[in-house]
Amino acid sequence: MRESESCSFMSKFSHIYIEERAAAYPVAQHVLSRFPGSIRVMIRHYKDVFNRPHQDFRRQKASTKLILAVKQEPFLYPGPEVCEDFGNQNFYYTSPVLNCIYDCDYCYLQGLYPSANIVIFVNIEDFCKAVDRQLESGPLYLCPSYDTDLLALEGIVPYASRWIEFAGTRQGLRIELRTRSANYSAIADLNPVEQVILAWSLSPHEVARRYERLAPSLKARLTAIRAALQDGWQVRLCFEPLIKVHNWQQVYREFLDEVFSIIPAERVFDTNIGVFRMSKEQFKRISRLRSDTDVFAFPTVCREGGVVTYEDEKEIRGFFYQNLNRYLPEEKIYG
Amino acid sequence: MIYIVTALPCEASPIVKKYDLKRDSACRHFPLYRGDDMFLIVSGVGKMASAIATAYLIAQNVKLDGAGGEEGLAIINIGVCGTLNQRYPIGTPLLIHKVIDHETGKQYFPDILIEHPFEEGSIETHNDVVRREDVLSGRVELQADLVDMEASGFFQAASRFLALHQIYVIKVVGDYLDVVDFDRQRVAQCVSGVMDALDGFIKQVEGLCRVEGDVLTQDERLQLERVKESLRLTVTQSHQLMDMARRYKLRTGRPLPDLSEFIQTRVKVKAEGRKAIERIRKLFLYE
Repeated sequence: MRESESCSFMSKFSHIYIEERAAAYPVAQHVLSRFPGSIRVMIRHYKDVFNRPHQDFRRQKASTKLILAVKQEPFLYPGPEVCEDFGNQNFYYTSPVLNCIYDCDYCYLQGLYPSANIVIFVNIEDFCKAVDRQLESGPLYLCPSYDTDLLALEGIVPYASRWIEFAGTRQGLRIELRTRSANYSAIADLNPVEQVILAWSLSPHEVARRYERLAPSLKARLTAIRAALQDGWQVRLCFEPLIKVHNWQQVYREFLDEVFSIIPAERVFDTNIGVFRMSKEQFKRISRLRSDTDVFAFPTVCREGGVVTYEDEKEIRGFFYQNLNRYLPEEKIYG
Repeated sequence: MIYIVTALPCEASPIVKKYDLKRDSACRHFPLYRGDDMFLIVSGVGKMASAIATAYLIAQNVKLDGAGGEEGLAIINIGVCGTLNQRYPIGTPLLIHKVIDHETGKQYFPDILIEHPFEEGSIETHNDVVRREDVLSGRVELQADLVDMEASGFFQAASRFLALHQIYVIKVVGDYLDVVDFDRQRVAQCVSGVMDALDGFIKQVEGLCRVEGDVLTQDERLQLERVKESLRLTVTQSHQLMDMARRYKLRTGRPLPDLSEFIQTRVKVKAEGRKAIERIRKLFLYE
């Protein structure tokens, strides 16, 4: 139970909504066994709860519920234009889980979904079959941890390890597991898989402290990354979104110094840079919701294609690139 | 601000007494009671009656209560219900997490985000009184823990106006679908018995629904209103001005800069207004 100034919120996952057809799946049983004290509510379709009108995303974040559901086609979606493909052909993403346990002020999910509740699709085998079908027409670069953070959720639903094991048995498949988590220990017993890239999103301490509520500290993430590298995993460092803060040049310069004082640069698989950006519609919706943060308060512009970013996006990117380039060759820097 | 909807006067009376609510004689359509931070309406029996009273209560009063408008209030349907399940002793209060409309088959889900002292359950709203023999003979098939005649109408009406965390249904088990003679006193006792729990719950709900204060002070809002007026800003420009002002405060943490120059300006043509708002934009964004 979390005490706020004015009321006591129920604990996270106090309620689990279960689609009737999802209940019998082993994944559903596994999740339910993790929360024996939760109140279970049977539902016909996850959208009856997840897509209800008039939900308050901010308040729901204080007492997030779980929804167990069965996903139907489509399972794979073409990678969005605004996301880096790292030179891979056939870039797709998939969403076996919707929403994230963290609560970052700048997160696009709060403008994407009508609810802060977390949906777990329990029919993971159907996702894998869809990947197999796609692999019949050539290699596939797949990101299953875009609209969530699978490693952070590993203790609830073991999908990070499931994807790693699956990727290890498929030719032509490359998977990126993106995370802000420090929960590397949850998969540390697995052998590194060549087809899998563990991708950590990193932000300076100042940004993480101010805008990444519930996410682990920079130090904890760096410790997890170092352990993964030592075990032989391919690790990608994602420097996105670059968020503007007071004295941002100094903050980001010192941040990179800190990162590479702990992470051996020569062992990093690759990196990408992405200055804060989101679609105009999402930006409008979220900035209206979030009067409690200054994360959207710096001057922005709407670029071609309806993408909102900082007015000085090029300057920020250029500055960061130059500093990152002190540690890594340009062929290891994307974005 | 808390709005309460009950179907019957005998369900309302313990609440009226507890919160010292006064009858509003100006309301000709429903028995309506008012207190400092509470309205209570007696809807009459049935989901249609409940929906009408709920819509009336919200629409009539939401602009008048001065506690953050729609955002600052919560609405609770309180009343007795029936069940076949002997697990629930008479007088047990339940907070409802699923409402099923028996006739349409539709399901509704309130958002239960706060700690509360109640057991939770589901309820099925019927148009007609459901009797024990109807269920045992198979004429009526129940899909929920409890049965009533209002919850689905109440919920549908309330959710047209309010967010889901602002809407609650609390039902007290009053019978096992075996009522022969309706006993008002017994119903009132059922509601009286849960008043302490209800009181604690209401405090929690008030805390949840409290509206965060605007980052702009009242003086600053007044100043901005004057700017809008003197510069003859369009609705869109006015929104932009307020948005820029809030961002300025969030970003800098300082009071708004002096805008008296713009308040004294009297624009005659729209182009002058556009130029002025551009100057304000630069002032807010780059200072």
